[in-house]
Amino acid sequence: MTDLINDLRSLNVLVLHRRDADCDDLVQQISRIGCNVETVWPLPETLPTNVDVVFVEIKESVPPGMQRLFQDGAMTRPTLIGIIGYENPSVLLGLLDLNVQTVLSKPLRAFGVMSSILMARRIWRQRREDLTNLEKLRLKLENIQIVTEAKFILMRHHGINESEAYKVIRTHAMSRRTSTREIANAIINADGLLNNFQLKK
Amino acid sequence: MTRPTTDSVWRIGILFSSTGTTSVIEKSQRNGVLLAIDEINAAGGVNGRVIEPVSYDPGSVPKEYGRLAERLIAEDQVSVIIGCYMSSARKQVLPVIERRNALFFYPTLYEGFEYSPNVIYGGATPNQNSVPLALYLMENYGKNFYFVGSDYIYPRESNRVMRNIVRQGGGAVVGERYLPIDAGADDIQVVLDEIAAKQPDVIFSTVVGEGTVKLYRAYHAAGNDARRVPIASLTTNEAEILEIGPEAAAGHITAAPYFRTIRSVENDRFLASYTRLFGSSSAVTSCCEAAYFQTHMFALALGRTNSLDTGQLRETLLGATFEAPQGVVKIDPDNNHTYLQSRIAKVNDVGEFIVERELIRPIKPDPYLVNPDLNDRNFKLMVTATSDYPQAPASPLAGRRPG
Repeated sequence: MTDLINDLRSLNVLVLHRRDADCDDLVQQISRIGCNVETVWPLPETLPTNVDVVFVEIKESVPPGMQRLFQDGAMTRPTLIGIIGYENPSVLLGLLDLNVQTVLSKPLRAFGVMSSILMARRIWRQRREDLTNLEKLRLKLENIQIVTEAKFILMRHHGINESEAYKVIRTHAMSRRTSTREIANAIINADGLLNNFQLKK
Repeated sequence: MTRPTTDSVWRIGILFSSTGTTSVIEKSQRNGVLLAIDEINAAGGVNGRVIEPVSYDPGSVPKEYGRLAERLIAEDQVSVIIGCYMSSARKQVLPVIERRNALFFYPTLYEGFEYSPNVIYGGATPNQNSVPLALYLMENYGKNFYFVGSDYIYPRESNRVMRNIVRQGGGAVVGERYLPIDAGADDIQVVLDEIAAKQPDVIFSTVVGEGTVKLYRAYHAAGNDARRVPIASLTTNEAEILEIGPEAAAGHITAAPYFRTIRSVENDRFLASYTRLFGSSSAVTSCCEAAYFQTHMFALALGRTNSLDTGQLRETLLGATFEAPQGVVKIDPDNNHTYLQSRIAKVNDVGEFIVERELIRPIKPDPYLVNPDLNDRNFKLMVTATSDYPQAPASPLAGRRPG
């Protein structure tokens, strides 16, 4: 996790906030920390490329333009840090709607900006890692289901046991230089077709 | 509480301890402030009004600094304060200063990672002294480091930075130990035993306060040779070397922006002025010099604003330069810290720091630098012309160049 601290200076930070004293203080502190920082106001149509972290002010209602900017999924979206001046339920709802990683409150102080960026980055990265792992697990589970189904088909048709059935699938996959999943899928499809023919007889 | 009418004088608060564990260094800082005030008042004050210091002794207890800062502002109606040595003390003062929107001068090196619009930082951050020191040590002594420090934030953070630089240079940290602030002989013996066992090439010490004197003396008494394996430090200063004594102090290394032996017109004048007021300049330290030039910079800014308003003073101070005893310094408008000189000095046989290396120009402070780059060309060291100090050269640069 220390690389998160070491990498702070390579972050490209975008501040979406009207140009006032609060914004200036924040931008100065971010450049003191050593990040590349840029301010855009009013809200742009699209985010500049290569933005890692976005600070965005959230008021009573989140305008549709802002909602659109961050509608990308967690895998492609930058880290989001909300800036709030009120703590009433509509502002809080905005924080939830935009799915920010952390919050800075106004009046902004220099102290705390660095830890906020760091915490937000960690949560953002953790979420991406979790999603990647989740996707890997989902695929793996799917593979197991497909291969199992194919194994049962082979066992039924050829009167072999489970490990023999698996060996058949694997051998075919290796000789055709493809995955066990592909072979299993082919077996399942073929079985379905053959069953259909039998019905129509 | 009675006080002279605030219209006739400018009042400034001073928070340095004259008792407790860090009193040696803080007394030298207080002297630096008092000397500057004496000089300013002798020259007629600021816009015809003299500066009047209001000074309290926090006794080296961090919480006291906060309480006394509050008292300075609330009861003595002071809005400009200079003080603090340890970071733990500064952290107590900071919320008071910010809440009251006062201006605070901090003339001490520290670990960085702080910015307050209400503070002007006059000491070195790690990027200004750690890298040059590590380069020098690895080049001249070896790559196995032993770390010993007092147990608080500054030593731990300094060691983190140092460990990173040493590793970049292909070196190793063979041991690391932290002592209580009021370390006793037993604590130090543990360190000495470990040093004897691990045989490092150099010891990097971030021990502060009275522990420093005990450590250097015990290291010498245990038969160690500082010429072969020195203790290197960012904080050990002239006042402490004086207490340690030349025999135990000779050969040890310190990196700092200022040493009292550097030869320049400004430094000669500074030392003469110090001796006139306090009798001897043998305990002048880099933190004393920082306190001295910060007070002068404050007075120059005050001369322009003619007001103690925090915002006006800050705006005038940011970007200001000053011909300090160490050379030219400048307050960095980006982060309120100060561009400083960087020097490495070794203690000679009579207990004086002799500058061995120095950087060509002042270094920009970078308080938020996580890991300095060992190969940054800004840190290129220049061998000083001679380790002895001849007459100051009569060049236009004389003010900036030590002998």
